[in-house]
Amino acid sequence: MKRIRFSPLLFRRIHKWMGLILGIQFVIWALSGSVMALLDMEKVGGHSSSAADAPALHTTGYAPLASLASTADVTGVTLRNLGSRPIYEVRSGAEVRLFDAETGAPVTIDAAAARRIATQANDARITRAQLLPEPNLESRDFSGPVWRIDFADEENNSAYVSADTGRFLIMRGDTWRTWDFFWMLHNMDYLNRTSFNHPLIVFVAFGTLWISGTGFYLLFKSFSRADFRWLRRRRRSAARS
Amino acid sequence: MKVRWPLVVRRTHKWLALLVGVQVVIWTLTGFYMVAVHIDIIHGDHLVRAPQAAPFDLDEVVPASRVIAAAPGTSEVRLQRLFGQPVWRAQTGEGARLFDARTGHPLPPLDETQIRAQARRIFTGDAPIVSARLLTEVPAEIKTYAPPLWQVEFEGWNRPTLYLSPTTGELMSRRHQLWRVFDFAWMLHIMDYEERTNVNNPLLRVATWTALAMIATGAWLLIWAFPRRRRKKKA
Repeated sequence: MKRIRFSPLLFRRIHKWMGLILGIQFVIWALSGSVMALLDMEKVGGHSSSAADAPALHTTGYAPLASLASTADVTGVTLRNLGSRPIYEVRSGAEVRLFDAETGAPVTIDAAAARRIATQANDARITRAQLLPEPNLESRDFSGPVWRIDFADEENNSAYVSADTGRFLIMRGDTWRTWDFFWMLHNMDYLNRTSFNHPLIVFVAFGTLWISGTGFYLLFKSFSRADFRWLRRRRRSAARS
Repeated sequence: MKVRWPLVVRRTHKWLALLVGVQVVIWTLTGFYMVAVHIDIIHGDHLVRAPQAAPFDLDEVVPASRVIAAAPGTSEVRLQRLFGQPVWRAQTGEGARLFDARTGHPLPPLDETQIRAQARRIFTGDAPIVSARLLTEVPAEIKTYAPPLWQVEFEGWNRPTLYLSPTTGELMSRRHQLWRVFDFAWMLHIMDYEERTNVNNPLLRVATWTALAMIATGAWLLIWAFPRRRRKKKA
């Protein structure tokens, strides 16, 4: 058997062959990384609204908790304002129900309510309100049914409002959509766009280490003193003048 | 003059690599770490258990209005549990406050013994607590949170650290060595050595586009990298 010699030739071969196999993804990583660095992170967004500016609750006039319908096995209660009215958000295991906190009447988040909630985050004209039984790609960080409210603004923003709790979830615009496409190319999760820990990317990333590692080694083999002659020449002429 | 493309492309590849080679090695190394260690482990999901959801007896709970009257400016009131007992949690502009849900009395901030007990309840491991400190200044690893916070550190190579709210005993954040390595890798990956958050910094933008040119010329070189074998015998 031929002994492997750790010569520059061996490293050059690894560099070449790994480049041939994984080069496309290496280019795609560099391209998608470059584009994501260029897209303004403020416009990309993805920050949920904070609770800091939530309106204060008034002190009296609430229906007693025990008077609410279906209050068996309650594992959580939240009292807060939804738009201009206070509501109870009652949790029983995984199930969430809303009640008007003053009358005790059940509340559902219909299109009108979802529009009102979305308007608080964006005052552009609404073009469409759509109920999605499952979160789509744009609202994938959340679970449960969501309202999608589309706005006629420059970014073609879509607001997502939880149909269960009425909470404003997130705003997605065209900059985010562009960013998300390149993020998909970067994390190689072409279906769900969320995971960057799947076997394919681990395998390719490991291979790419070999391209960059051998390439870095070859840098020391590819340059000779002659390559830097122009530098010395320039310095000498600078010293003379 | 005829352009000798293989030579031009090779030189470009070589010189660009000299410029960004170190950073490209850093990108592939940090990238490999980030894909190899699962993000759920980095987030520390395995370190903590979710609070158990035992049903409340709503007849013994005082009305929420009592709590709102005692804590002006409250924007949200929540019924939850602390050490198994029902408590009202009022979210005010100055932070959260707890009230005994059976009596409506305000609860004082948790003392060290309670914080240690609470950390034990949340932590999934059985390693002993190394230290529990009330911080008035938050360390860089939880810089988005407002002080004061209890920092409870557990023994182990991974140094699991829980951050608890002194007023509510809630888990605010958790950190451990693998997270800290990830955060360092992320800093190197996005080249924001100060805040570790700005993915639009000029240095990163210049470096990424230079690297793209370097890698694209490398791909271009592949055309000439595999010469067709000459038939030696017939020649």
